[in-house]
Parts: sequence; structure tokens; C-alpha cells
Amino acid sequence: MADSPVSINTPGGANEPPAGPSPQEQKQMEQAYAQMKRKMAMEEIGRKIKHKIMVLSGKGGVGKSTVSTGLALSLAQQGHTVGILDIDITGPNVPKMMGLDGRRLHVENKRIHPAQGHLGVKVISMAFLLEDEDTPVVWRGPIKLGAIQQFIGDVEWGELDYLIIDFPPGTSDEPLTVAQSLPDIDGMVIVTTPQQVALLDSRKSITFSESLKVPVLGVVENMSGFTVNGQAAPGTEVSIAAPGGKTLTATADNDGNFSVTLDIFKEGGGKDTADEFGVPFLGALPFDPGFVRGGDDGVHRIVSEPEGPSAKAFAKVVAAIQDQLSDGADGGLEII
Amino acid sequence: MADTLPTLKKLERRAQDMVLTYDDDSQYTVTYDDLRHACPCAKCSPMRNEDDTSRTLRRQIEALPAEKPTVRTVGKYALAFEWKQGCSSGIYRFERVYDLANRRDPDRGKPYVHGAW
Repeated sequence: MADSPVSINTPGGANEPPAGPSPQEQKQMEQAYAQMKRKMAMEEIGRKIKHKIMVLSGKGGVGKSTVSTGLALSLAQQGHTVGILDIDITGPNVPKMMGLDGRRLHVENKRIHPAQGHLGVKVISMAFLLEDEDTPVVWRGPIKLGAIQQFIGDVEWGELDYLIIDFPPGTSDEPLTVAQSLPDIDGMVIVTTPQQVALLDSRKSITFSESLKVPVLGVVENMSGFTVNGQAAPGTEVSIAAPGGKTLTATADNDGNFSVTLDIFKEGGGKDTADEFGVPFLGALPFDPGFVRGGDDGVHRIVSEPEGPSAKAFAKVVAAIQDQLSDGADGGLEII
Repeated sequence: MADTLPTLKKLERRAQDMVLTYDDDSQYTVTYDDLRHACPCAKCSPMRNEDDTSRTLRRQIEALPAEKPTVRTVGKYALAFEWKQGCSSGIYRFERVYDLANRRDPDRGKPYVHGAW
């Protein structure tokens, strides 16, 4: 036997033990194991979070992150436990709006713990990983998607009533990855502004939702109208030149107060889009310069003025969303 | 649109049509052909703008093999119908289904305006 070119391993025999996996095989096994663990973690997270809401817009600059943070804060105001996942990898700005600028993520036992912003809202954002805010993230698709999966699977959210997921503008990889990774997403909120170009892109988002099989919870029209408040002698009729060559008039009340709402872009476009596609219109949010200041200062308008007109407008949108959510959504409809 | 929309309690799928029962005990039958012709998606809707194209859409639907759709609720506001063949994109608000049940034009005479595509 000693001269035989064939080596036979016998239990307890004197021959060499079987060769283990090669380093490459070992790496593949580890990756597969990590992937499986992450998938299980995602399912577990899906169970712990009651409602998952995606916030999208077809076009940039419509105030999507403002709406996401506003929805989260408005829900938190109602006493819900809320988290925001800022998936906008290339331009993450939720932390700044939530007063968490410059924070770093806390990692314990290989689990990422979210930072807590205003009203206890938990926040996860790529901004927490950036060395400085001027450094751009230049990642190709697969790395970006890996990061998103990690943000979903490796974050210790705990029990949440609502998770708001803020996306970059457009209908690209990110929502697709989230929709495929996170189970039981309740639906998406489409943010738009009244002008035509934003509406066209919103229509794309609505048809995009159909391809993802994620229901549209509704359309929110942001920057809808700017209200000018003023004072004049009681009973005075005030004329104001409005966009589009219109003249708006208002009469000062007995205390001398008047207010006029200017439709800076247009009016009713978000509702028209919602009607056109047969999806709910969730409401219009006013054009409020306070959002810009609040965003820059890290104090959201809802926090600085919880009873103000913007907070009230958000509360209405939240109520409309809650009306669409799936708790008993079918109203006991029997389908046979 | 009805001022007060009754709640749909039961949807019974039959071979060629579905029977809808509402909480006010009213009952209606909607054929699958009518349902599919009223598809609110961005592809089917423009075809109903003109009589010619609307008839073409109708003929295309009638040429499809008869089948029972899979039905699911969408949020709290609508139904979606999944067909093995033909368009399954449309999300039908309950108001739309009720209009169809009552033989009313679910588009309310409003032509569809194209989006960006």
C-alpha cells in the first residue's frame, strides 16, 4: 500500500485528514453565511417595525427630505416610535435637519445603533459615515446596494411603529433594493411640487411603484402656497400682485390682520396628478421659509413651532397616510 | 362619484364576471371585459379618449382568453386585479369599481392626459 499512488482516508487511520476548503471557498462560505444572517435579520426587522413607508420623488429639489423628516416628527408628536432611514447615499441631509450634524454611528456587537434626533426619532444616514460633509460619496452600483442592505439588515432599530425611508430623487436602484430587501412595505408617498416638470416626474414614480408592487399611499404637494400675513386698518382692502399676472385681494379683519396665499408655482397640480392616476391626494404643504432656516439650524419647523401652520399641514398629511395604512385595510372584504 | 360610498364587503369571482356585495346589501355584477376596459393605468386610459381607440381596446380585451383574476386590496383605497394575460397595471379605486357596478363612466367624461412617457 505504501507504494500505491492512491491514498485512502480511514476513520482513525494514519493517513492525512481530508483537506479543508480552500481560502477562496472559505471566503465564499463566509459571505454566504453573512448574507443568510443578514436576510434573517431583515425579516426580523420587518416583523419589529409595524409600518414601513417609502418617500420618493421623481425630481430633485421638491423637498423630499423635508417631507420625510416632517412626517417622522409629526408621527413622533402623536406618540409613535419612529425611525428614519436616509438612503440618499450621495446627498444625505436628514441628520442636519434632525439636529444630528457631525454625529457618528454607535456600533456594538456588530450591530449599528441609530442616533436619536428630535422627539426621539431614530436616524440612520450615510452622513454619519462621512469624514467631512464636503467629501462626495462616489460609489458604483454594487457597493451602493451592499451599503443599503447593510443599513437595513445590520441596524438595531428595536420596536418601531413607523420607519420612514428617504430616497434620492428618481426611479433608480435604491428603491428597488429596499423593496426587494425589506418585507411588507406599506407603500410609498410621492412628493411633488405644483409645477409641470415635477408632476411629470411624479407620474413616473407612480408607474414605478406599480412595477415594484408597492402601493402608492398618495401624493403630497410640497411648496404649495406662500401665505403673506400683514396688518392694515380694519376693513381695508389690500391688493397684492401675485405670480402669473394675478392680483389677489384681502380685507383686513376687525383686528387689522389680513392674509393672502400666493401660489408661487401653480396650484392643484399634485391633486390633479393623484386624480389622474387614481391614487389618494394626501394634502398640500405650504411654502414655508422656516423650513430652510430650520434645516440649516438643525431645528425642524415642527419642533420649533409645533402648533404652527406647517405642523398642522403635516398632521393632516399624516392622518391621510394613516387612513391608507394596512391595519384592517381591506375593511373585512371577502374575496372568493 | 357617489356622495357616500358604501363599503364593499364581498367580491365573488365567477367565470366571466364578479359579483360585488356592499354593506348596504346592494349587489352588482361587473363583467371582466367591462372591468378590463376601464383599466385606469397610463397605457390603457389614453385608449379610451377616442371612440375608435376605445373600440380597439375593447376588441383586444375580448380576444383574450377568459380567466378569473387574482384580486388584492391596495392600501385602503383600491383593488388590483392580476391577469395571466393582458394588462394588470391598473389600480382601481373603490369609487371606480362602484361606478362600474352602477354602469357609470368611471372616467367621468374626463380625457386622459399623457404623462412624460
